[in-house]
Amino acid sequence: MNNESTGNVGHWRAALAIASRDLLEFVRDRRTLFITLLLPMVTYPIVALSSALGLRTALVDIEARQAPTTLTIALSGEGSVAFAVRIREFVQETRGPRTGWPAALECNVESPQDSRAFLDDGAVDLWLEIRKGAVEALDQQETVTVEVHAGSVHPASGHVREQFTALMRSFADGVRRQRMAQAGLPQSVLEPLQFTFLQEGSGAARSIDAMPIENMVPQVAGAILVLLAILTMTGAFYPAIDAIAGEKERGTIETLLIAPCRTQDIVFGKFLAVYAITLATLAANVISIALTAAVGLRFLPAGALERIDDMTLGTVVTVLAFMGLAALAAATCLAVTTASTSAKEAQNTLTPVILLVSALAGAALLPGLPAQQHGGVLAAVPFTGQVIVARAAISGVRAASAEAGVGAAQGKPAIALSLAITLFSSASLAWLLLRATAAMLADEEILFRGPDTAGSVFARPAARTRPTIVQGVVPIVAGLAAVWYLQGFAPDDLLLAIPLQQATAVLLPLGLSLGWQRVNLRQTFRIQWPCPDGQWWHVAGCTIGAALVGSGLFVCGAAALLAVKGTHVSAETQLLSSRLLGLMQNQPWWLSWSLMALLPAVCEELLFRGWTLSAFVGKARQRERVVGAVVVQAALFALIHLLPERMPQTFFLGLVLGWITITTGSLLPALICHVAHNSMPLILMAGMANAVTATQGAESAEGNGVAVAKSLGLPGGMVMLAIGCVAVGMILIGWSMRSRSADAIELASD
Amino acid sequence: MQAEPTNELQLNQPTAIDGAANLPVIEVINLVKHYRASDGLVVHAVRDISFAVLPGEMVGLLGANGAGKTTTLRVLATLLQPTSGTARVVGRDVQRDPVHARRQLGYVSATTGVPDRLTPTEILRSFGRLHGLKGDLLAARVVQLIEILDLSSCAHRPAGRLSSGQRQRVSLGRAMVHDPPALVLDEPTNALDVLGSRDLLAFLSTLRSAGRAILLSTHRLHEIEHRCQRFVVIHGGRVVAEGTREALVGPGGGELEEAFFRAIAPAETMAS
Repeated sequence: MNNESTGNVGHWRAALAIASRDLLEFVRDRRTLFITLLLPMVTYPIVALSSALGLRTALVDIEARQAPTTLTIALSGEGSVAFAVRIREFVQETRGPRTGWPAALECNVESPQDSRAFLDDGAVDLWLEIRKGAVEALDQQETVTVEVHAGSVHPASGHVREQFTALMRSFADGVRRQRMAQAGLPQSVLEPLQFTFLQEGSGAARSIDAMPIENMVPQVAGAILVLLAILTMTGAFYPAIDAIAGEKERGTIETLLIAPCRTQDIVFGKFLAVYAITLATLAANVISIALTAAVGLRFLPAGALERIDDMTLGTVVTVLAFMGLAALAAATCLAVTTASTSAKEAQNTLTPVILLVSALAGAALLPGLPAQQHGGVLAAVPFTGQVIVARAAISGVRAASAEAGVGAAQGKPAIALSLAITLFSSASLAWLLLRATAAMLADEEILFRGPDTAGSVFARPAARTRPTIVQGVVPIVAGLAAVWYLQGFAPDDLLLAIPLQQATAVLLPLGLSLGWQRVNLRQTFRIQWPCPDGQWWHVAGCTIGAALVGSGLFVCGAAALLAVKGTHVSAETQLLSSRLLGLMQNQPWWLSWSLMALLPAVCEELLFRGWTLSAFVGKARQRERVVGAVVVQAALFALIHLLPERMPQTFFLGLVLGWITITTGSLLPALICHVAHNSMPLILMAGMANAVTATQGAESAEGNGVAVAKSLGLPGGMVMLAIGCVAVGMILIGWSMRSRSADAIELASD
Repeated sequence: MQAEPTNELQLNQPTAIDGAANLPVIEVINLVKHYRASDGLVVHAVRDISFAVLPGEMVGLLGANGAGKTTTLRVLATLLQPTSGTARVVGRDVQRDPVHARRQLGYVSATTGVPDRLTPTEILRSFGRLHGLKGDLLAARVVQLIEILDLSSCAHRPAGRLSSGQRQRVSLGRAMVHDPPALVLDEPTNALDVLGSRDLLAFLSTLRSAGRAILLSTHRLHEIEHRCQRFVVIHGGRVVAEGTREALVGPGGGELEEAFFRAIAPAETMAS
């Protein structure tokens, strides 16, 4: 044999070779086997048993509290003897329903002192004072007032009071009937309506006081699905730690990195192995749930089982959605643990992520999300969407259709669409995470870095050309937190609110990051002309092109939003829009423009297209990494705008701004594009001032512009013009950059 | 492993370099490597290193701690990207064509481990598959390596229960599973006792005799003094001496260790 006999190993073969090797290792790890097989088999029976015990205790308690007891009454007063006789006769003579009555009645006539003493000792439940001539008064159609002492030392329980009240009501009814007979009135005077519930069909017809078991399904399913999501994620925990951080600790990762295959193949192979274990965990969980449910269903009341919808579709949808969740869990665990150099470090890093995932899964049960709701866009939210979709499917197509006001035939496509959304989201996110894992695995700084030390965490790092990926994300996370918390404290006056928001959410985190990590400002923020070596018309082409793209994008975005959402925007968006409109109407144009267009554009471009984009792109020249960097920063840009309905538009705007920055190698065109975009509400408002009164306008804001669109009606010509602006702008930018020399492009892209 | 392996071992001639016996298998040309340490400072690990290893040659890469040995070997193993300069394995540039370079190379370092829960047979088989071996060819190669490396007694025992020497031999087997013409070994005897080191080096000599080009670094100069054909002494990221043992120790003779100190002394003086 010689080295030439070793053939070219394809990507799939390499990945499968690594996957089979890792799988062999995983199945020999007792922790993995415990989490994968034993934990699910134990968890669900324990949950079911504890739930059943709790339910049973509660039922026994309710039953005990509702069971009739012996009621002991002491009567005193001059009319007590006759009243006691009358009560006893009534009890003995009464036939028919005695709903709520005590099991037995002891009625003793005592002196007031003895009655008080017996009541305080607890020997009697109630003490009744009956005035002289009470029975006669009843017969003479008067109203008799009876004072009932419930005691203060041993106060009568609610159950005693209920039984006494029921008994006395029956007694009063008897008196009432007697009076009606004496007056010669028929019973129908008292009972103008009588109801009779008729059971139709077979024994499967519902009893009116039966337990609404079908209503319990969404609640129970939701709780189980959250548990299933957490345990599925847990299945990826140890394999993922073992797969990369464990290999680093054992010194075996180098042996894989020098294998004749790409880093992506190694990561994909490891993903396949971790995914296989996660799927095995999911399967074990599903089997355990099925077995536990099979046992539990035997104890349901007769006929209850028939009232639950067929679970086949729900089970299939759940398994498919959770296969996506398992892939996402495996990719997340791998990505999170890749930067760790030891299993312990990876464990410490991954544990908070598991908690975060648990919170995301639990968010699917929030009150704002009805069980039958399929999720829509929420189906794409990682770890939440899967639970929402599965819960909706399990809650039943019938219930879901009823909720949506459509027939069952229309319910299934809705579930299928949600399932497709969640699967696509899971696959896309998993792919992105695996790309990030591969990039991190090949990163020399990460691969050969030493263990973290307490000192290095707090020591200011040495200057770099550009920030690291983590440093690129940190100010955005801090800014997001600032935006969120400021909501409760922000002043109503936008003259203060906008600068305060930009200062705390953007400039402060960015400034602190810059103070911590010194970078090359020129390269990080791309502070240079778009065409440093070009002619003036190249610079002008880029600048004008960017302005055209920005203004066109605003109108296109407003038109798209109007087409999708109509005028049904959320209350938050309406409030923001009306406040912005007020700002535009009440302040000089230059102040409105500075606050709405210039300030946000400058701050956000410095952070997103400057700091963060440079951190993500790094010094890499790989096209895929650059594309990934642009996409991720655009997603973060959309996220920081908080309002969900604005996110698609801000995401697209972020993509375009990122593309412009990368293409031109300068922050200036993106800045101009952003300013032009944010200036459009002002320009459009000025344009329509003569056509529409100010009160007709409803809202207008950076990123939504519904009211401007509504007020103007956004004629088709304007939308076409906007599309034309975007196209011409992009062509202008592309032409300006292509006409430069190759050296200049290299310089700009650095 | 046999105490003194002989040429009876079934080693094949590396055809990749057939007809090109005088062409270097390992080449390092003006290699420069800078990296960023965990404290953020840029370390100039390799400033300018050039050398070559011919087929059938074992070359010792000598240097003090921090001289740049491991960085140089990691660049050759495609684990690090050179800042500038070139490194080639059988003509394949490690930066431009890393996958093909890896096919021609076996790499073992002192920190290279073996998966604890897999047996030597499983380890060799999985890496054989990664190198495109399959079927009978793979099975035969695994059996051959188990025999050559004297791992028969523990071939089906999890590697976590093997001795340091046995684990190092498994590592070597893993690096040789595709029978590469070039072997790059970074302090391979570090974790071994005297006997283990002697056996391993004897085995490497056998491989060299079979035509493999071997580049190894070590601090134990006496172990390789009479095994290597040539030595490259590096200090502060630069080659400060290169040649055969005789050329390094000079006409007066003496120990290699003394020659090593003499080679790095001027640089040390300059540094101080």
